Amino acid sequence: MTLVQALAYFTREALLNLVRGWKVSLLAILTITVSLFLTGVFLLVSNNLGAVIDGWRAESKVVIYLEPGAESQAIADLEETLRQAPGYERVALIDVVTARQRFEQAFPSMADLLEGWGEEPLPRSLELSLTTERLQDPNLGTWLESLRQNPVVMMVDDDRDWLDQLEAVVLVLRGLALMVGGILLATAMFTISSVIRLTAYLYRDEIAVMRLVGATEFFIRGPFYLEGLLQGLVGGSLAIGSLWTIFSVAKSQSTSLLTSILASEFLTWSSSLGLVALGGLAGLVGAVASLSRETLESPKAEEPPADWNEEDS
Amino acid sequence: MIELYNVTKRYPGGQLGLSDVSLKIAKGQLVFLTGASGAGKSTFLKLIYCEEVPTEGNILVNGRNVSSLPRNKIPYLRRTIGVVFQNFRLIPRKTVFENVAYLPRILGLDRKNQKKLAYETLRQVGLAHRINAFPVQLSGGEQQRVAIARALINQPEILLADEPTGNLDPELSEEILRLLLDINLRGTTVIFATHDRDLITRVGHRVLTLREGSLADDRELPGSFYSQEADKTGPAPSEEAH
Ligand SMILES: Nc1ncnc2c1ncn2[C@@H]1O[C@H](COP(=O)(O)OP(=O)(O)O)[C@@H](O)[C@H]1O
Ligand SMILES: [Mg+2]
Repeated sequence: MTLVQALAYFTREALLNLVRGWKVSLLAILTITVSLFLTGVFLLVSNNLGAVIDGWRAESKVVIYLEPGAESQAIADLEETLRQAPGYERVALIDVVTARQRFEQAFPSMADLLEGWGEEPLPRSLELSLTTERLQDPNLGTWLESLRQNPVVMMVDDDRDWLDQLEAVVLVLRGLALMVGGILLATAMFTISSVIRLTAYLYRDEIAVMRLVGATEFFIRGPFYLEGLLQGLVGGSLAIGSLWTIFSVAKSQSTSLLTSILASEFLTWSSSLGLVALGGLAGLVGAVASLSRETLESPKAEEPPADWNEEDS
Repeated sequence: MIELYNVTKRYPGGQLGLSDVSLKIAKGQLVFLTGASGAGKSTFLKLIYCEEVPTEGNILVNGRNVSSLPRNKIPYLRRTIGVVFQNFRLIPRKTVFENVAYLPRILGLDRKNQKKLAYETLRQVGLAHRINAFPVQLSGGEQQRVAIARALINQPEILLADEPTGNLDPELSEEILRLLLDINLRGTTVIFATHDRDLITRVGHRVLTLREGSLADDRELPGSFYSQEADKTGPAPSEEAH
């Protein structure tokens, strides 16, 4: 028998098994679907959040608030220092008027808060843009600290702290994806393994006959292995399919910032296929684990002992 | 050619299945294997088709030592040995054709050739017209003939029958006996295990008797019935064991 013939045979037998035992097969498939769906959700959210954070990090600026009484020359000197600094991209002086306009735009409801002040309440500032590499440079903190020593500088503010915190959230999400996915996938593997064992038990008479007439183990086990693999692949595909459906609906229906952040990009092709392949692998491993030698051999159709008076029918 | 050299089989539970049995069965011979229930008949057959491994001794099938055959070689041995049982072991969900054609399917024959081979083999056992029936639609004798067809489909050199008439009434038993004699006449070595001495005395041929696992007797019995067919098998082995 050629490999192609064997595969055709395995496929036919496995599909027959799936159709005949569709209820238990469905159970096995759904456990795979649920586990990979949840893994997919965590991955999707953490990927999108990660991308947003990267975007913010790239755009983030260091804001150097200046003392109200600072001399223009001192400010110009500071600007020059900044231009010489490593990773320098741009620097812009935000005067008090611009600062006020920005505040009023960002927080219209609080605009009258500034009315009571006689002088301009918001300080002038220098907005410094740095390269992404420089922003991720661990030595940046020390350099910013040295800027604070400059007499014209009132305060230095940068976004690194809360971006780092958000990034920690993404890491936690990824960890959860791995953990929840792993636990659920193990459960799914266990389910598939039970389903395959049940199928093998149901067909133990046929397995015994095949052994008797000279079928190889490969030939006997092949259909069951393929059955597990198919259950896993179908479960994985269903997971990706439903994830995509929910993703599309969320993307098109919702206008809230949160969903637009979390549902901006779907999983890449390779992650999607990876999840489906993971389902297939789980199914295959489950099937292999279920068909230990004992499982296939212990329930062999043992003939009843021959007795002189036996009436067996 | 089947040769046993000091073969002993002790089961894991300590039960003695076979005890120090040595004998030879020539190619094309018909041998009856008899003895009370528990005497070791099934064990004897299982050792030949490698369902069990001997605890001691060697078994040669066509010159090949099967007592130490690696697991992955067993299927290939079994393709040259047909086995039938008292309880037929047909698959009720499958048609007669599918039941008979397991081995051709395993060997990769296409469906047309499987069907052709199954038809030809079923014709030998007189059941070609029931090729599309299900086992439940057949009588016990017919079911056993389907099982025999399954065992014969690859034209095995050896046919092992473990109480093939155990579930059948005397008339059907005789029908099966006649069929196995017929198969033997076409050159297949047949070992027919039965506790039905009545059946044996009507046929003759070589009779091995087991008692509590030991070979108690090995002799040629003159047959009254079918003696003509028996003669056609050629001269029986001349030497008597006892
Ligand atoms: N699988 C087994 N495990 C333990 N003991 C067995 C097994 N098969 C057979 N025996 C024992 O071996 C002896 C011979 O059995 P068997 O070969 O089945 O005899 P027969 O076929 O002549 O009735 C009996 O005592 C039986 O109990
Ligand atoms: Mg027996």
